Order: sequence, then C-alpha cells, then structure tokens
Amino acid sequence: MIKVEIKKQEGKIKEVLLKGHAMYDDYGKDIVCAGVSSIFITTVNAILKFDQNSIKVIEEKNKVTLRVLKESKENEKMIENMLELLQELSQNYPKNITIREDENNE
Amino acid sequence: MNRMLLNLQLFAHVKAQGSTKNGRDSAGRRLGAKAADGETVSAGSILYRQRGTKIYPGTNVGMGKDHTLFAKITGVVRFERLGRDKKKVSVYEVEA
Repeated sequence: MIKVEIKKQEGKIKEVLLKGHAMYDDYGKDIVCAGVSSIFITTVNAILKFDQNSIKVIEEKNKVTLRVLKESKENEKMIENMLELLQELSQNYPKNITIREDENNE
Repeated sequence: MNRMLLNLQLFAHVKAQGSTKNGRDSAGRRLGAKAADGETVSAGSILYRQRGTKIYPGTNVGMGKDHTLFAKITGVVRFERLGRDKKKVSVYEVEA
C-alpha cells in the first residue's frame, strides 16, 4: 500500500511524503502505481517549470519526499490539485493507497 | 532541481518473476504390474504394462507390440529372475 503523508505548518503544506508500493498488480501492470507516479511526477515537473528552486524531491528506497522550499500561489494550487487527485485515487483503491495529514505548529 | 523522468512504475513493488515456460505434463500412463505374483489369471489377461522390456515374457506369456505382457493360458503368475540382472514373468498351469 502507498502511504501519503501531508505535513503542514500553520495550514501551509510543507512536505508531501509518499512511501510503499501500491501492490495492485505485478510490475508493469500496476495501474494504481502508474496513476500515483504520473500524478506526482506531473506535479513536480509543472512546479519546476515555474521555479526550479521552489521545491526539492528526495528519492529514497520505497520513499519519495516533496519538500516545499519557497511558497508561492502556483506551488500551493498545484500541490493541492495533486492531493485532490491522490485522494480520488485512494477512494477508488482504498486497499492500495491511503492519505494522512499531520498538522505541525512548531 | 532537474525535472523528473516519467517512471510509471515509481511505486511498483518487486519486478514480476519471469513466467515459466514449463508447467505442462501428460497424463500418467498407468504402467506397471496388472497381476501379482501367485495370482491366478485367465488366458489373455494383461500382466504387465511397460515401455521397452523392463520385464521379459517367460513361459506361457506373450508380448504385444507395445511390450505389454499377457497370459497365453489360464494359470498362476510367477515373477522370476532372468539371467544375472533381468526379470521375466511366467504363467504356470494350475495342477488339477
């Protein structure tokens, strides 16, 4: 299962962390994994079109983190859009993707 | 930061194992003994099904073209040695 964790500070999204595997089907046939991958990568590349230094993506084994470095209206809207799509995906495939929000007011 | 390459399997798990090309087998041919040593059989009864001559025909026993051994007379089945390392099956008439 893919676990999506949204880290917020004062209501602003600071980090989106995606970890695990969809486990919907075998490699190459996993449509949920393909969906999540394309939603995530499309969003990242779109944000980079506006400003190459406003986000950072950290790829580790079984985990990918999108960290917001510079806030902007574009970033906010695009990440929001990404999360809405991932939310929709998790409603259709609850066994393969879940989303959780952490409000952290340091 | 550079753009990401579109890897649709970014969140896929372990690569699927290659599917095997094996997994086929023919049905068993039910070879082997059809009559036991000491058993009384009637003429024409099949005694042993085999591929090649694992067991040779002995007294009063015939062999079909598929090496099946059968009784030529009604009598008692005897599995016996043939030479140093071979076997044969014979059928002996039952004394009245």
